[in-house]
This record gives sequence, C-alpha cells and structure tokens, in this order.
Amino acid sequence: MINLSLKRVTSVWIIAILVVFVITAIFGITMRFNQGGDIELSPVTFFSLMTAHGVTMVGIWSVAGMMAVNYLMARYVKVSTAVNVFALVLTVIGLVMLWTSTFVGYFHAGWTFLYPLPFFVAWESWATPLFLYSIAIFGIGWTVWTVAMLMQIYKKYSLAQSFAWQHFKRGYLVETPPFILITTVSLIGILICLITAVILLVLLFAEYYSNGTFTNDALLIKNLTYFFGHTIINEALYLGVATLYELFPEVSGRPKFKTTWYVALAWNCTLVFVLTAFFHHLYMDFVQPVGLQLVGQFASYFASLPSAAVTVFSIVILVYKNPIKWSLTNTLFFIGVIGWIIGGFGAVIDATISNNFVLHNTLWVPAHFHTYNAMGNVLFSLAFFYWVANEFAGTKVVPRSEKLRIGLLLIGGFGFVLMFYIAGAYSIPRRYSVYPDELALGRNLASYGGWFATIYVIAILLFLGEIVNKCLKVFSPRSSAAA
Amino acid sequence: MSKSIFSKIICCCLILSVVQFAQAQKGKFDFSEEKNVYNQIADVPVLTKDGTQKLSVLYSRSPLIVALIFTRCTGICSPLLLNLSEQISHLHTDPKENFKVLVISFDPRDQFEDMARMAKQYARENDPNWIFAVTPQISELTSSLAFNPVWDEDRQQLDHEALLSGINTDGYVTKNLIGLRDQQAIYSLIKSINNEFILSYPLPGNNNFLSCFSYDPSTGKKSWSWGMFLLVLPAIIAAGIVTILVNQKKTLHHN
Ligand code: HEM
Repeated sequence: MINLSLKRVTSVWIIAILVVFVITAIFGITMRFNQGGDIELSPVTFFSLMTAHGVTMVGIWSVAGMMAVNYLMARYVKVSTAVNVFALVLTVIGLVMLWTSTFVGYFHAGWTFLYPLPFFVAWESWATPLFLYSIAIFGIGWTVWTVAMLMQIYKKYSLAQSFAWQHFKRGYLVETPPFILITTVSLIGILICLITAVILLVLLFAEYYSNGTFTNDALLIKNLTYFFGHTIINEALYLGVATLYELFPEVSGRPKFKTTWYVALAWNCTLVFVLTAFFHHLYMDFVQPVGLQLVGQFASYFASLPSAAVTVFSIVILVYKNPIKWSLTNTLFFIGVIGWIIGGFGAVIDATISNNFVLHNTLWVPAHFHTYNAMGNVLFSLAFFYWVANEFAGTKVVPRSEKLRIGLLLIGGFGFVLMFYIAGAYSIPRRYSVYPDELALGRNLASYGGWFATIYVIAILLFLGEIVNKCLKVFSPRSSAAA
Repeated sequence: MSKSIFSKIICCCLILSVVQFAQAQKGKFDFSEEKNVYNQIADVPVLTKDGTQKLSVLYSRSPLIVALIFTRCTGICSPLLLNLSEQISHLHTDPKENFKVLVISFDPRDQFEDMARMAKQYARENDPNWIFAVTPQISELTSSLAFNPVWDEDRQQLDHEALLSGINTDGYVTKNLIGLRDQQAIYSLIKSINNEFILSYPLPGNNNFLSCFSYDPSTGKKSWSWGMFLLVLPAIIAAGIVTILVNQKKTLHHN
C-alpha cells in the first residue's frame, strides 16, 4: 500500500535527484565548453569534473529507477519505508564523500577508476581511499535496498512466477505482471553487480593496505570493473522500462500490458545476457581469450535486441490506431523509448568487434550511452517523477509550457548527443580535456554540444520547478490530516 | 687507541663498499627487459666502414636493432648474432618496417678491424642493413642502455647478458630483448622501433595470486586461474540469496 511516509521519502528522493542532476549536468556542460575552447580549465579540474559527473550520473539514475519501482511495487506487495530511508541516507553520505574526494582531494581517475590508476596518486593521498569508501557506502545502501525489495517480491511470488515461466505453458493460474517480471530481472542483475562491486573493492583495498605484498591482476580488475559498471547502468535503464510498462497504458487510458510468452522470453534473455555483455569493453585486451570476446559481442545483441523489440512492439500495438490521451508523462515515456532504441543501436554498432577497432574510445562511446541515458532512462524517470508529483498534488492541470518543454528537450537532447556521434564517427577520442589542432573538428562540435546541452538543461529546469512544487505538497499539514 | 678506531672505520667502509658492490652486481643481472625503455640512447661517435659519425646520424636514417657484443667473446655473442641473422632472414616484414642492425663492441680492446673481420665471418660485410662499429665512448653507450658488463679476470672475459636494444628514429629505446629469441619476439622488436603498437602484458608474479589466467613458460600453456572464478562468484552468491528469499516465503507460509 502507498502510504504517506512512502510518498514523503519518494518526494525527497525526487527533489534530491533533480537538483543533483542539474548540478552534475552543469559539470558536463562545463567540460564540453572546455573541450570546445570556450572556457579554460586546468586538466586536473576537467578530469575531477569528469569523474564526479560520471559516478554521480550513474549513481543517481540507478537509484532513480530503484526508487520508482519501489514506489510502484507498493501496488502489488508491501514495501519497507525504513530501508528506503536507509538507502537515501547512505546515498547522500556517499555523494558527499565522492564530491569531497573529487573536488577537495582532486581524485580524477574517471568513473571507471580503472586499476592501477587509483594507486598512481596524482591527487591528495587520502582522496583514493575516500573515493573507494564512497563507492562502498553507495554499495551497502543499495544492496540492502535491493535485497529488501526482492524479499517482498518473493513473499508473494514463487521463483518461477517472478520470472513468468508459467507463461511458456498454456492454462496458467497466476499471471505475473510485466512490471514484476522486469523489476525482478533488473533487481537480480543489480544485486549481482553490487556483489561484484564488493569483490572489486575488497581486492582494491587489499592492495591498498598490503604495502606491496599483494598486487592485483589488471585483467581481472578490468573484468570486475566493467561487470559492475556496465551492468548496473544497463539494469538501471531496465528499471525505467519497468515503470513504463506499469504506467504507459494507464496514463494513456488503455488496458494494462499483459505478460505473454514472448515478453517473458525476452526479459529472461535479458537477465542472462546482460550479465555477459560487459566483455565488449575488453575487446582491446588481447590477453582475454577470443571466446570471451565473442561472448561479449553476441551477448550484447541478445541482451538488448529482444527486450527492446518486445517493448517497441507492445507500444506500437498500444498506440497504433487507438485513441490515446497524450500527456507529458506518456510523451516522455515515448521519447525515452526512441532514445533507448537509438542509443541501443549505437551500442550494438560499437559492440560489433570489427567496428570496435575503429570506434573504441572515441566519442562514439559517450554518444551512445548519453543517448540511452539522457534521452532514455532520464526521460523514463522524469515521466515517473511528473506522474507521481501530479498524484501527490492531486492535480492534473496541463501546464502551458508543455510543448515548449518537449521541444527544448528534443532539440537540446538530440542535438547534444548528435555532436558526440559526429565526433565519434570522425575518430575524435573521448576523455580529452582539450583537443589538439589535429582534432580541431572536435573543438567545434564540443562547443555546439555545450549549447545544445544548455537547452536540454533549461527544459529540465522547467520540469524541476513544477515537480518540486508538487512534491513538496506531501509535507503540507493537509496531507498529514488526509493520511 | 685512535689508530684502532681509525682502522675499524676503514674496515667498516670496506665491508660496506663490498656489500654495496655485491648488491650492485646482483642488480645488474635482473634480466628485466623494461629497464631503460623510453630513455634515449647516448649520442656517441661511432666508427663504421663509412668513417666516424654520430650515432644520431645512423638512427635518424632508420631505426636500429643494437646488438652489443665483443669479438673475443667465447660465450653468448656468436649465438646471439647467428640467431638474430637467422630470424631476420625468415621474417616477411612489411616494407615500411625498415631497420638496420648495428653490431657494436663494448670491449675497449676491439678495433674497427676486429669488427670488420667479424662482419666478414658472418658474410655481412657488404650487407647495407648490417653495420659493424666501435666507439671510443663505451661506458656512455652501455650505461644509456642499462647494459652492465662485468670483467671476469679468471676467464679474461666480459660477463654480460645477450641484449638486443630497439632504437627508434628519435633515439629512444622502445624495446629490449634479452637472450636468444624467437621470430615473433624479433618481429615485435622491429614493429616497436617503427613506432607500431606491440602487445605486452606482465606475467603474474608471486604476490599476484588472483589472476584470470596462468601461463607456464616451460610448456607455453595458458590455463584458467582462480581470478576467473571471481567473475562467476557474484552470480553464485546472488543465486544463494534468492534461494534464501524464496524459501523464506515458504517458511512464512508454514508458520
Ligand atoms: C546535459 C547532460 C549531460 C552532459 C552535458 C554531459 C556531458 C558529458 C561530457 C562532456 C563527458 C565527457 C566526454 C568525454 O569523454 O570527452 C561525459 C562523460 C560521461 N557522462 Fe555525461 N553528460 C550529461 C548527461 C549524462 C547522463 C544523464 C549520464 C547518465 C548516466 C551521464 C554519464 C556519463 C558518464 C558515465 C561519463 C563518462 C565519464 C568518464 O569517462 O569517466 N552523463 N558527459
């Protein structure tokens, strides 16, 4: 059941995520203008911004997904507000530690903090352990939360039901809602990558505190890092898709989505294949056996294509020649699916070994992941925020700036990622603070990208004002009295 | 009294210097191929059949494989040169991977005539890709390559490792090979001096027991190692947690 305390903690999450998002997006815009030569940052500042931006974005959009499914899960099972608050507190503590390590301690090893970089201390010596502890704090909070949510699911559903296996046969008695299926698949994936993070951190701390008596294997750490990093950001997107399955038909005035055998099959495929797709990050690691490289390529196809195909199919069936009540919520979901598909397509191109020889570590990589994040997952979460804020406020007033917001979001968002794609196609490398004269094209594209991103952030600010206002309503005395 | 203190101090200094020398000797033969990589070779004058010129003149024309030998060597020098010559003759290198072999003596007793005789022995006296040379500044050259031969009085020989140093056209050491090496290693040396990307990966040491793979140099076999297990461990632990959660539901029901 959705009670007042769940509404309140959800409100705090939403406000915090949106505010942190705008600040972190400004870090991104600053980086883009620096790459464009419009402003001048020291390399240390650039890479500190890049590290803080990467980890914070991945973190906030992972918890945004968890927070949204936690809220909607209350429609099906009991959820724990205490654990939700616990995760919120640890996330805030982790974020303060993270930003202290990057902005006070100047830790700047990138969001992947790829071994052995954290140990080549080019910053305050305390910044390395502080950064690693911040990841540990996030990990503890989110692991407890994930286990708590899975616990509630398994109080109601059996293992087979949670994976919708009964849908492969005829005449089943219990139906698994698509929301529960996708949430279970994604939460189990998140649990696996959080356990991977624990192993990774234990190994890094072991080396850090061993005074040279223990050294890590670079290949193992790289495998573990991408197992954790690549998988968690993908699973976060799937949590967004879970909210879409739950809310899109509802806000469009159409019957709820049903789990069919192909929906069940697609999401079971995703569970298995998303866990091995990360091998595509190691194509350049020649010591990795060729077999694992091939696993990386094919898992990348099978993790994304079936789930994307059934989602698009379900949405097309729902909107095609049907009367749809279009609102900001389902428009955001709809654009989010487009962003997911375009970004996913860019990812599949890059995950194909023969293409990766050309695109590896070029701006094609930020291009595709920004598309399915900034124009995919962020929009799924924004749709949820907008819907739930209206639920809290009890109003369904259509804002006058509706078209303006969507227009700015589309122009700003797709313009911003397009500049990354063009640069990637021209082999402009990623993670360059400034581009040398040979890469002058990168400079111009970065500058345009910065302006497009500014338009995108203006659109987000327009949403932020309204959403924050409505979310604050759950703290009013009237809400308490109604509860 | 003061005399005895003085002699004690002298004794201590002598012992210390011997220990230091012994340690230095130990360090000289650590057979690490990474030492001095990306350092610049000393730009010493070298005497070749074309007369005296600076080493930089040679390496700026084409990258060099520098083979350090001496003509009176009764040990590894001949096998080193023979192996190098044989491996190079079997290579099908890309035409853009041009290089020359500079065979240079590190024995002050060697004159250019000795080197010319050696070139003849190896039938390389007219080969434009092989240059035989001596230098008056041996110690500058050898120290810039971290090559430290030690004089063995009993054998009247210079004790040394079999070193091939790869020098690119800017004079930087891009790769070293120690010992008699196969065609693949020689080819990677040639690629590296032509500033091409070459693969290298450190073998796991004793303080590194969680690698993904292990490699046995005696058999040349690679196998999975303990580190790989850590990649499946998260899924196993998660499966365990889910099993507990699923059963917990049943227990609640039974209660
Ligand atoms: C307006 C929004 C955003 C802007 C302007 C922006 C900008 C940037 C820029 C300039 C970079 C560095 C690219 C390079 O390698 O040269 C970057 C990297 C990155 N961004 Fe964003 N970004 C935005 C939104 C997001 C979102 C929503 C996510 C969500 C996950 C995200 C995640 C990342 C990550 C993970 C990196 C890689 C950091 C690293 O290489 O260590 N960004 N972003």
